[in-house]
Amino acid sequence: MIFLDKTRLSTKIISTFSVVTIVIFTTITLVTFHIVRDLTLNSQEEKASLLIDAVKSSVAISLFLGINDMGEKISSITRMKEIIALKIIDNEGRVVLNYRQEESSFPYESIQISKKILEPSTFKPIGSILLTYSGEEFTKTMNRFYTLYLWLSFGTVIVFWLMLLWINRLLLPIKIIARKVRNFKPGEYIRFDFPSTQSEFTQIIHAFETMQNSVAEYSEKLQSINTNLQREVSEKTLEATRQLYNDNLTGLPNRFKLQQDLSQMPRSTVAILNIDDFKEINDFFGIDAGDWLLSQIGRWLQEMKLSPYRIGGDEFAFRLREGNSPEQFRHDMERLISLLSEKLFLISEETVHVRVTVGLAINSEKPLIHADVALNQARALKKPFKAYDHTEGVEAQYQTNIAMSARIRQALVEHRIVCQYQPIVSCKSGKIEKYETLVRIRNEDGTLIGPYEFLSIAQKTKLYHHITQEVVYQACTLFATRHEQFSINLSGSDILDNGTITTIENILRQTGTAERVIFEILESEGIENFEKVELFITRMKAMGAKIAIDDFGTGYSNFENILKLNVDILKIDGSLIKSIDQNARHRIVVEAIVDFANRIGVDTVAEFVASEEILQNITDLGITYAQGFHTGKPQFLDPTFF
Amino acid sequence: MEILIRYFVFLSFLLCIAKGEDVLLVNTYVRMIPKIMVLDTQAALHNPANKTILAVVYEDKNKNSAKKIAEEINGYYGGRIGNLSFSAVALPVEELINRHDIAFAYLTQMGKYSISQISAWGISNSVPTFSYDPKDLDNGILGSIAIERTTVIYLNKNVLKLSKIRFNETLFQIARLIE
Repeated sequence: MIFLDKTRLSTKIISTFSVVTIVIFTTITLVTFHIVRDLTLNSQEEKASLLIDAVKSSVAISLFLGINDMGEKISSITRMKEIIALKIIDNEGRVVLNYRQEESSFPYESIQISKKILEPSTFKPIGSILLTYSGEEFTKTMNRFYTLYLWLSFGTVIVFWLMLLWINRLLLPIKIIARKVRNFKPGEYIRFDFPSTQSEFTQIIHAFETMQNSVAEYSEKLQSINTNLQREVSEKTLEATRQLYNDNLTGLPNRFKLQQDLSQMPRSTVAILNIDDFKEINDFFGIDAGDWLLSQIGRWLQEMKLSPYRIGGDEFAFRLREGNSPEQFRHDMERLISLLSEKLFLISEETVHVRVTVGLAINSEKPLIHADVALNQARALKKPFKAYDHTEGVEAQYQTNIAMSARIRQALVEHRIVCQYQPIVSCKSGKIEKYETLVRIRNEDGTLIGPYEFLSIAQKTKLYHHITQEVVYQACTLFATRHEQFSINLSGSDILDNGTITTIENILRQTGTAERVIFEILESEGIENFEKVELFITRMKAMGAKIAIDDFGTGYSNFENILKLNVDILKIDGSLIKSIDQNARHRIVVEAIVDFANRIGVDTVAEFVASEEILQNITDLGITYAQGFHTGKPQFLDPTFF
Repeated sequence: MEILIRYFVFLSFLLCIAKGEDVLLVNTYVRMIPKIMVLDTQAALHNPANKTILAVVYEDKNKNSAKKIAEEINGYYGGRIGNLSFSAVALPVEELINRHDIAFAYLTQMGKYSISQISAWGISNSVPTFSYDPKDLDNGILGSIAIERTTVIYLNKNVLKLSKIRFNETLFQIARLIE
């Protein structure tokens, strides 16, 4: 089909016509052949039959009467050369006469006709005549037929060939039109000069000319549209480029532009300026005022010829220009801090002082990162300026933090978060009555990582709640099989996380340990969110759990709040206990705490009990429980079903 | 001379029958006579109620020969040829000419007077009359079967017209008509 689709029209016409003609011609030839052959054969058979009929009656009477004169009777037809043989056979199969022409070989096919001989009176068969007739005339007639059709076929082929030439000549204008149109381009005009041609081609040419005019008209319109479009695209591109590289608020180049500029050089010197406490300005004056302040600062920095970039909400950056030295750049930054601290900005007719912190990276391969690190260091150190120093190993610390974060995540997935339990001993009886749950990470080699190495990182990577939930689950599951009380440390963020609290409640219900669990809340963290902590304590106490304030004595919570929280245990901070036998001030503070606890009826636990002397001291002070390496180190516990 | 020849022919015929020396010749007559009878399209009309009668006619001196021929015919055909039931009987001339139920008459050797009588009888009754000798055609006999180089049937054209006998057309294709 693809071949036919690509074939020329003239070829298709001729092919179609040829196929149709060949089919018709062949059909007619075959039909004619059969008709002629049958007619000729019938004619010859008819002749032979007539010859038999001519002698049949006389042969019949002779055969009937038994007269042996058959030879005479058939002599009238045997004289004909077409009669090759004639045989007369009676009913009993006897050959009464057997005639055969003397010439033995005949080049043509013969025709055999047989007829019955009937008795003259009764018309019953009494024998048969078998005539062998020459097929010479039949063969000659058929040969004439073949010759005729051979010439007819030859004539037809000639006519077809002439027709092909004629059709090609007729369709020649199409080729010329196609050749001219093939290279047509908008804006050009093709002329079709055919002095005389078929009306169909004239129509095609007229249609092409009309189309050319339309194309020219549309081409002009398109050209105009293109010009407008190009202009608009240029404008939009310019606008997009401006928006891509510039900050909308201040009009200054943005972080992306800075990165692009920095990418031109292998090493650069960059400073990042952060406006201190900008959040408070935003909160106090509103976001619009904050934006106004940022634009004023941006304009001022431009006026200072420092070519600033705005790279974040309250952050600006500067880049060392060619020809300047890093020392000069550092000096400029320090001078900028000084000038900015003296500069007054107006917000809603109020004057505002702006303090800034600057981080500097000198000749660095990663200037933005290093400047940012320096900025964070400066803010942590509460200094207005800090230059990045690779010898301080800040980046290494970051790497360590990232690696630890990955280890925590891996440990959670592989269930390598484990718990050890430190005994809490009754000072009166010396017996273990409680355990404090202490979380560890078990390394793949079996060693343990303490909580001080990973808990702070876990809090920053939002893995802390998962660790808390794992610890609660393990501790509750273990102590469901034991009889002691056990405490679990909760951070302020745990108490604020509804998901964690719901999980804790579910675990307590499932394990039935709510009556023996003690949740330790850091005084320094929890009491800051008093209302939420109060709500948490109410929910836990409703289930039967107890609440302890951990590291009591180091925070700033007042005793009234402690009273409101209705806690059960105060765990006195270890820093007060570990030197209680040597530091009189610590002893006084501890005495006051114990006195307070006794008055409100809560138990006290002394941490960091590392020696017998300390144990004796706290016992003397009336502290209820002791916890420390002297009374018992953290250890793994087995379930002991009671 | 003519009488001598006729006598010789008939004598040969009798000799054939009597001595059985030329069985083929006798058989030829015996077989052909009934077949010629059935070629008469009106043969069955002469005695519609009974068998068609083929008469072998004789004068007194040839009575035995006639009976012998009649018996031969009956014995060969068994009283039936084609669709026609017939019976061959030997009859004297006097009896023949008084009968009207005869369909075919074959004459043995006899005198001219008898031949003439039979001839007149045959014409008036439309009965084919055949003899073994073609000379009898001159005396008014309808037909004759002659054994020559081949067997030849002669028919008397005038008698054929007068007697109004209707033979099967095919007979005329082999018979020789004599004026």
